[in-house]
Amino acid sequence: MSDETPTPGAPIAAAGTPSDGGPPADVAAMAFDAALGELQQVVARLESGNLPLEESIALYERGVALHDHCARLLSDAELRVQRLVQQAGGALRTIDLSPDDAEDEA
Amino acid sequence: MSDRPVDPERPWERWLEEPPHPAESHGAAAGIGSGPAPATSRGSDAPPGPRIRPVGELTRLLRDLLRGDPRLRDLWVEGEVGQVSISAAGHCYFTLKDERAQLRCVIFRDERRVVRFEPRTGLRVVAHGRIDLFEPQGAYQLYVDALQPAGFGDLALRFEALKAALAAEGLFDPARKRPLPSWPGAIGLATSISGAALHDIRQVLARRWPLVRVFLAPCQVQGDGAPESIVAALRRLGGFRDAARGGRALDLVILARGGGSLEDLWPFNDERVVHAVAASPLPVVVGVGHETDVTLAEFAADVRAATPSVAAELAVPARAEQAAGVALLGRRLGAAAGRVLSDGRRTLEAERRALESARPEAILAAERERVGLLLDRAARAVGARLATDAARIARAGDRLPLLASSRAARARAELRAVRAGLATLSPYATLERGYAIVRTPEGAIVREAGERRAGDPLEVRLARGGLDVRVERVRDSGP
Repeated sequence: MSDETPTPGAPIAAAGTPSDGGPPADVAAMAFDAALGELQQVVARLESGNLPLEESIALYERGVALHDHCARLLSDAELRVQRLVQQAGGALRTIDLSPDDAEDEA
Repeated sequence: MSDRPVDPERPWERWLEEPPHPAESHGAAAGIGSGPAPATSRGSDAPPGPRIRPVGELTRLLRDLLRGDPRLRDLWVEGEVGQVSISAAGHCYFTLKDERAQLRCVIFRDERRVVRFEPRTGLRVVAHGRIDLFEPQGAYQLYVDALQPAGFGDLALRFEALKAALAAEGLFDPARKRPLPSWPGAIGLATSISGAALHDIRQVLARRWPLVRVFLAPCQVQGDGAPESIVAALRRLGGFRDAARGGRALDLVILARGGGSLEDLWPFNDERVVHAVAASPLPVVVGVGHETDVTLAEFAADVRAATPSVAAELAVPARAEQAAGVALLGRRLGAAAGRVLSDGRRTLEAERRALESARPEAILAAERERVGLLLDRAARAVGARLATDAARIARAGDRLPLLASSRAARARAELRAVRAGLATLSPYATLERGYAIVRTPEGAIVREAGERRAGDPLEVRLARGGLDVRVERVRDSGP
């Protein structure tokens, strides 16, 4: 749920080297809006130019990871509905409601 | 009593006040034409004695009597609809009845268009109109100009009274309305677990924004006990903390119910429900019934939706729009990276010239290699990522057909352009063509054979890997 932006010059790319394929762990855990917000910042900084090559590459790599994460969330997400159940003590418990639950009922 | 001056407009009053004349009840049986001429009996100064009246006159009298009574105008009558028939002219005739009596009713064709509600046999209705007498049939009827299901009038009155009271409390104040979060991560849903509303809302959310997590607090949405059940569901959702999101509260709540009769929707006008909506710690979207239904809970909601489906649409962003936005950012990212690389190439070229003019060869070599390695890394990063991007976007495109071909095609074109640029940038592209770089162990690049002797160690950098070698023989020749 981190929405920090990479600090200039920091070795951000260490979190995800070009060859390892998967996104950095912090990106994988990001909510869509946080990832989208950081992606917008990354693109804006990269477009502004005037950055050392090394930092630009790191930013690019970060941007790709964020972009992939957003695209994957949009294409792969499946709606999850959970039912709140009140337990004896008053505490709430959740149980998954499958897509066809309850729809056959009158 | 009989001395009272007779109103010339209402001569029958006097006639009615007179005790029935004995002859009158027998008049018809006593023989027609046995009395004085009927035409004379109208006057207030009619002589006493049996009075025989033509049907038309009596009927007119009764008609005027009925018309004259204010209690029989602007009248509401409740009863059960008996037989219904529609005449060729398009008028609707029916009877209203209860245990004791029945009443003939008519809705004229023009009124039927306005009334819209059609009487059906067995229905309990409330009719509005006036009583009049239809002379050709000697029948009094209710001339209906408004018709509603029974109970409506009562509910409508209660609705207005409650609405005024709750408005006076400020519950419907626009200043109270909270905006909905742009990116809800978790939504609470208060509705029946077996209703159409749940089905509709799930469908909309699954299509539009499946990233959201939905927590259903099932409640009873009609009948006795529904208000308490709705209030409890809203309270449960308001207090719920999602452990999967670090114990955060929900972002908003949807309170919904599908269409139904006025009575079915009544719990959403209940004072307790309206208060619970207004007091919710989370923003509430209320969508109850069809477009035309209005409930007080909707007035108290932060956002009022015409139907449950609309409530779901208002609650979340649209996936297609966001996918387009993300794709656009991806293209801008690729384009910006391409510009950075071409800037890097220009810088490299400038540095090379500056260094060559200074001739400190070791520095030049090291500097070249540093930049070369950086560009090499950039080439791998950009190239490899764009390749997987293209594949991924193509795959995503299958799922989002609207965006598919253009997104994937553009990404592939970018990928080719960036790769072509990179190929000419890297010094290793030269090695790929069969050249090698020869350096001393200190890193100085070897350009002249004469500087070396047999036995000197050298390092040879190839396109892939390198060799540590020794000089066998020096062949000191021209270029």
